[in-house]
Amino acid sequence: MAVSQPDLDAQGRDWVTAVRRGDVRRCARLITRIEARDETVTPIVQALYRQGGRSAVIGITGPPGAGKSTLVDKLIARYRARSQSVAVLAVDPASPFSGGAILGDRVRMARHNADDGVFIRSMSARGMLGGLARAAGDALCVLDAMGKDVILLETVGVGQSEIDIVRHALTVLIVQTPAGGDAVQAVKAGILEVGDVFALNKADAPGADRAVAALREAVEFRNDPHDANAWRPPIVQTQAPDGIGVDALLEALDGHLAHWRTHPEALRRRRLSQARSVLTDLVRDGLHRRHERGGESAARFAGMLDDLVDRRSDPHAAAARILTGLT
Amino acid sequence: MSAATIRCLLGMLGTDVHSKGIRTLAQLLRDRGVEVIYLGEHNTAAGMVNALLAEDPDVLGLSFSTATYVHYTRELLEKMRAAGVGDVPLMLGGLIHRDDEPELRAMGVRGIFGPGSTTLQILQFLRDVTGKPLPV
Repeated sequence: MAVSQPDLDAQGRDWVTAVRRGDVRRCARLITRIEARDETVTPIVQALYRQGGRSAVIGITGPPGAGKSTLVDKLIARYRARSQSVAVLAVDPASPFSGGAILGDRVRMARHNADDGVFIRSMSARGMLGGLARAAGDALCVLDAMGKDVILLETVGVGQSEIDIVRHALTVLIVQTPAGGDAVQAVKAGILEVGDVFALNKADAPGADRAVAALREAVEFRNDPHDANAWRPPIVQTQAPDGIGVDALLEALDGHLAHWRTHPEALRRRRLSQARSVLTDLVRDGLHRRHERGGESAARFAGMLDDLVDRRSDPHAAAARILTGLT
Repeated sequence: MSAATIRCLLGMLGTDVHSKGIRTLAQLLRDRGVEVIYLGEHNTAAGMVNALLAEDPDVLGLSFSTATYVHYTRELLEKMRAAGVGDVPLMLGGLIHRDDEPELRAMGVRGIFGPGSTTLQILQFLRDVTGKPLPV
């Protein structure tokens, strides 16, 4: 199949070169433009994607206050001790009322600010709807092109959109605490299915052993017991502020990367499933943008809403009409 | 998010631990639709400049409750200029003495919000230096 090359002018090529050289200022500015939905950067991101895919991307999610940022801080220190360069993309929720946000993940990682081998960027989920996964994915392309060995992608895991984001990662680390509820909560949480490695943080709190047992059971159940090649997600107990269990956690994350290396067919399946979700997100986002820009005139759209409220039409029919107009 | 969102980096330098004011400001700004990247206390000038480079905010705000702010601000602005981010507007808040304002302005500080300043003044400053509107 013929695949069109990104339409990159001299200026775009200059950006690509700067990003690949690791020019921090240009990389940061590019991410700002991605967040601002500046479509003129799309050819640059396209070019970066085609040349990328070398960084080990680790997605980290879990409930608010589970200790994700503190664990990330400790992991950064471990990777740096091995002379690996690190990028962090920390996604925080926005206020549903004002759209504003306080992005505070950096506070826990402040000691790495003066380290040129660490690039930390905060991103708000502000009003992005499905576009968040797109913005995060494009930002990851930039971090990857910077040549970072490891990219830590941190999100607060409370909803489907956060799961969509961590799906950009080849290794997903789920952080839970003993306060995460009983076995039923563990099973219905829905994020367990995407976890490759689990950290039971605050393991010094009461109930840690029971929480590990519940997690263990929930995670084991999802596996085919007859498949000897299947990855068995490790569950590591950690106490992030004191660094307890962080070496074991690093070992588990390394182990998962090693598993991908020895199971290329499984890695291929994961990459295909990632590609599918990235592509689906992009199509959905594109439709959403066109719709926002008014595929329908405002008056016609208002008329459709009237028809819905008065039951002259129904949401399925109205949506079908709009989608037909968009394609 | 849209292109019009104001991104504001807030933090403190040195040994100053009186963070109540800047935390309160962070919440007030969030509730006006600003994206606040909060760095907390105990930052070094070099660390803050690196954060500034990576976060690419529209504006930087520092809070001081100790008497060393002239020294710290000068050091930070020098490092910002050396790193090519001297153009990011800088505002100071906290216990900034009136007598020091001319010297700080001469250094390049764009906004000074000492005792008696109001949130509205800070919001007006943000609008003025960024040229972006506030949604709320």
